[in-house]
Amino acid sequence: MGNKQTIFTAEQLDAYQDCTFFTRKEILRLFHRYRDLAPQLVPLDYTSKPDVKLPYELITSMPELKDNPFRQRIAEVFSEDGEGNMTLDDFLDMFSVLSEMAPRDLKAYYAFKIYDFNDDDYICKSDLEKTLTRLTRNELTPEEVRLVCEKVMDEADLDNDGRLSLEDFQHMIARAPDFLSTFHIRI
Amino acid sequence: MHSPVLFQLVVLVTSTFCAVWTADFPGSDASVISEILEPVGIAVESSPSSAPPLHRQYGVDTGKIASAAARAPVITDPMVSPTSPPGNRHRETEPVSFEIVKWNWEHAHGPFLVAVWIMVASLAKILFHLSSKVTTVVPESCLLILLGLGLGGIVLAATNRTEYQLDPKMFFLFLLPPIVLDSGYFMPSRLFFDNIGTILMYAVVGTLWNSSATGLALWGIKQAGLMDEKVDAGLMDFLLFGSLISAVDPVAVLAVFEEVHVNETLFIIVFGESLLNDAVTVVLYKVFNTFVEMGSDKVRAVDYVKGVASFFVVSLGGTVVGLVFAFILALTTRFTKRARIIEPLFVFLLVYLSYLTAEIASLSSILAMTFCGLCCKKYVEANISQKSRTTVKYTMKTMASIAETIIFMFLGISAVDTSMWTWDSALVLFTLVFVFVFRAVGVILQTWVLNRFRLCPLDRIDQVMMSYGGLRGAVAFALVILLDKSKVKAKDYFVATTITVVFFTVMFQGLTIKPLVKWLKVKRSNQHKPTLNEELHERAFDHILAAVEDIAGHHGYHHWRDKWEHFDKKYLSQLLMRKSAYRIKDEIWDVYQKLNIRDAMSFVDQGGHVLSSAKLSLPSLPSRTSFSETSVTNLLRENGSGVCLDLQVIDTVRSGKDKEDTVMHHVLAGNLYKPRKRYQANYSRHFISADEQEWQDREVIQRNMRCRLESFRSTKHSVYQSKGKSRHKKSQKKHRSSDVNGEVPNGKPKRNISWQDTVPVVMTMDSEEEEEDNSEAEKEEDEGITFVARAADEVLLEGKPSSTLGVCQSPFLLPPSPTCAEKELPWKGDQGDLPACVSSETTKIVPIDLQQAWNQSISSLESLPSPPVSEAQQLQRRTVPPARLEERGAPAALARPLQDPRFQFPERATAAGRRSEEDSAECIQQQELRPLMSPDKQPRPGPSTGSAGARWPVQFNRAARVSLLKNLVTASPYKGSGQTDL
Repeated sequence: MGNKQTIFTAEQLDAYQDCTFFTRKEILRLFHRYRDLAPQLVPLDYTSKPDVKLPYELITSMPELKDNPFRQRIAEVFSEDGEGNMTLDDFLDMFSVLSEMAPRDLKAYYAFKIYDFNDDDYICKSDLEKTLTRLTRNELTPEEVRLVCEKVMDEADLDNDGRLSLEDFQHMIARAPDFLSTFHIRI
Repeated sequence: MHSPVLFQLVVLVTSTFCAVWTADFPGSDASVISEILEPVGIAVESSPSSAPPLHRQYGVDTGKIASAAARAPVITDPMVSPTSPPGNRHRETEPVSFEIVKWNWEHAHGPFLVAVWIMVASLAKILFHLSSKVTTVVPESCLLILLGLGLGGIVLAATNRTEYQLDPKMFFLFLLPPIVLDSGYFMPSRLFFDNIGTILMYAVVGTLWNSSATGLALWGIKQAGLMDEKVDAGLMDFLLFGSLISAVDPVAVLAVFEEVHVNETLFIIVFGESLLNDAVTVVLYKVFNTFVEMGSDKVRAVDYVKGVASFFVVSLGGTVVGLVFAFILALTTRFTKRARIIEPLFVFLLVYLSYLTAEIASLSSILAMTFCGLCCKKYVEANISQKSRTTVKYTMKTMASIAETIIFMFLGISAVDTSMWTWDSALVLFTLVFVFVFRAVGVILQTWVLNRFRLCPLDRIDQVMMSYGGLRGAVAFALVILLDKSKVKAKDYFVATTITVVFFTVMFQGLTIKPLVKWLKVKRSNQHKPTLNEELHERAFDHILAAVEDIAGHHGYHHWRDKWEHFDKKYLSQLLMRKSAYRIKDEIWDVYQKLNIRDAMSFVDQGGHVLSSAKLSLPSLPSRTSFSETSVTNLLRENGSGVCLDLQVIDTVRSGKDKEDTVMHHVLAGNLYKPRKRYQANYSRHFISADEQEWQDREVIQRNMRCRLESFRSTKHSVYQSKGKSRHKKSQKKHRSSDVNGEVPNGKPKRNISWQDTVPVVMTMDSEEEEEDNSEAEKEEDEGITFVARAADEVLLEGKPSSTLGVCQSPFLLPPSPTCAEKELPWKGDQGDLPACVSSETTKIVPIDLQQAWNQSISSLESLPSPPVSEAQQLQRRTVPPARLEERGAPAALARPLQDPRFQFPERATAAGRRSEEDSAECIQQQELRPLMSPDKQPRPGPSTGSAGARWPVQFNRAARVSLLKNLVTASPYKGSGQTDL
């Protein structure tokens, strides 16, 4: 417990607690997780708010993530600079969004962002196609992907503008009640 | 042992039933086989006679009462007498004479009684469901138990003895497996594995707690002197009793919960628990049974350790047995391509074998079967044909339903037997209370622990439901019957108590659970249609979560699932699935398929009456006529032109002799109607052949189409002849477009009428076929399925008009809201689209079954020559003439000009390679149809013999055509435009 004070100041911890859905204990646990990713980069003393970023390459090159189709996208969405370099704040944010305490709308928003590959605040066909090709690991032909995308779009696109807005997305997710209830991670 | 008095009446009514049943019962049911073979075995052993085994076999197999007697007495007597006990023996002393009819009850009474019981149970089921009011209030299981009580009462009154009761051996070997198989095979695996931790906790810890607590508490009551002195039982006896009474019963749970429709999570937890606790129950039961037999004072510490060890062996061993058999089963079905008809048999056999193997090795048989069904399903479903899938599904459901019915009925009947139970109010009462209380306490305690780990915590209402849903059933009863009276002295008391507990839980709790669910407002399962979005996002979320877990270095559930899926995809599926099936395995695509098929089915459902009426009164449907005018004919024209592409080239390839031969052959064959009954003689044990009716319908269609096409072609060729192939493109184009405009008014009405003749026939046929997939031969099934998945490549060659036709009708029937089907379907956009484009999209919508019919009709279309027309049309298409556009009234044509990303011929080659074997089967079929696809030659003035001759080789040599097509297309500007769109 003595350790705690040397990593964060009390104010920092309070701030983190306010900004996330975590308790102090969990914040510290997450910090250690974060540090485990790159022990040589992350200092043990965060009181002086060092500007430490985990480089994008480090995250995407993790062996566990080798097969994951969304590794880059997650890093990009949750990092503040949008390029996938993650600070501790980003890291905490990410888990905060995925914690059970986070409201559904927040989760839906981030899920939406992950799908929105071109960051135009709409999921358009190209976004869906990207998602789909990643999910199916290029097993579908472009034509099949296009067909499926059309169908998906058709199902969810309420205002018929050919793209999914956040509202469309939220509505679609609300229709399936236990959809976001599984969008949790326990740390 | 039996009461012919009682059954004589029934016997008279159903005297033929037995024979039918013996012959008809699916071979997968081992009970039948064993029961049939048993008498044979006896006969072989004990028979001193030299009667040929063949005769004996025959006599047994037919099972007909009179059949044995009808044969010569010399053979009959030695054959029957050894198998038939004393009843028949006195006949041997009588002088041998010929009997016209011989009452041979002993001969087939076993299977006969089984059949009668099944029939009674099934009839009862029908009766219950006659009144929907009763079954909505009272669960079926309760009604069946009541019926059993009634029947048992009648039997008891009639004979003063109890004849029938639930025999543990029969229960465990024949009645339980179908239910477990059904539940294991159709278990939602994703849901199951999502909740596996919770389920295991309840199954293992919960059952342990329940049994030990119940046993100990009952023992405490006994010690306190509240129980009758005559209940002679020690601690071990009570623990034994506790172990058998505490297990939640899968049969009862399933019967009650299926009618209640609680939400899936709750259901899977209770039901999964009831399945998985089998291992615990088996071990506890065996351990305590042994301890009781040894005497509690002789039990040493080692024995406890052995008991714990045996738990792991039994549960893990059972699981491993199940997995091994699942693997074998999946692997086997990979190779059943040539013997489709036994596919369902394999599913039943191997799963049943896993059960029996586990039983033999005294492992947990329920676990083995559950896991076998659960794990093999994915691969088996991918491998076997659609028809086999349906068969498996229905047979499984039927058997499970029958088994369940019989179990509950026999439970009722068994309870009547007063001789085997002794009532002790204190024991019964306390057991009831303890069973209920400890269940509730156990659930609450475990949920409290589990909720700290579960993502979606179980709330109070769930807990109430889980405690209340802890039903006891036939397993407990069978186990208590199995107890050895000489060792367990209080057996009679235990039997009485078990029956009471079972009845109480099934009747009382089963009756009240529905109102309770309503009153507590338990989340019901909502039966919403699966959407692509859900499927897509679920998978995306899985990956995202796995990624985040990985980033955190936290190897949680998502991480392992991701790893498993990866492994499955990379190795297991490759090994266990057919290549053709593997390709389309992707679930997203699957869902897409299902949605499309559903759309098509609903379309056919809606359109069924329209079509049939159209068949009757064609001219009175102007809207339809005009519709087909715009789309069908246009598409046909384009199809013709599309095929012409290659014909030009092939022109130079074939030798004259070949050409002549084939042309002659086809002229001959094509102009003769096939004899009507021709296919009736085709009987195959291995394939279900298509209805002759279908064949003949098709023949009619094809003839109609051919006539139509000929008239069509003749108009075309007159056009063609007026032009030269070598003409300048521009002028040709001009000419052609004007030509089209001029041609339309004359040519169309006539054509359309003929189309109207054919179309309705096809469509109604499809609607009939739709659900029970047309799988005339394995080729079509595989072909159909793979075809859909491969989509882009083959379409051009196979599916064209099917799509166009299937599509044609729907605009009238679809709801006004823009469904995706509407968006995708070609008529929405532009009928003038390239043929390939249209077809590739729409064939996916047309159910697979339609393919066959269409393949045939298409091939007749494909033979449509007129090469230059195609070129002209192609050109015309590229520069869509305004006149034609207007005529179609489809401005969307401009929105999708020449968009043809599906025109991927190169892929065709790989596809062809991949399914070369399938192709061979296809070729056979094609050849069979060939006569039907020989339209022209005579009526046509003859564009050129060269092109006409060239047509035939094309059909014989698919591969050549493919490659030629490929060449042509890669060279053509057509392809170029498609490429840019890509």
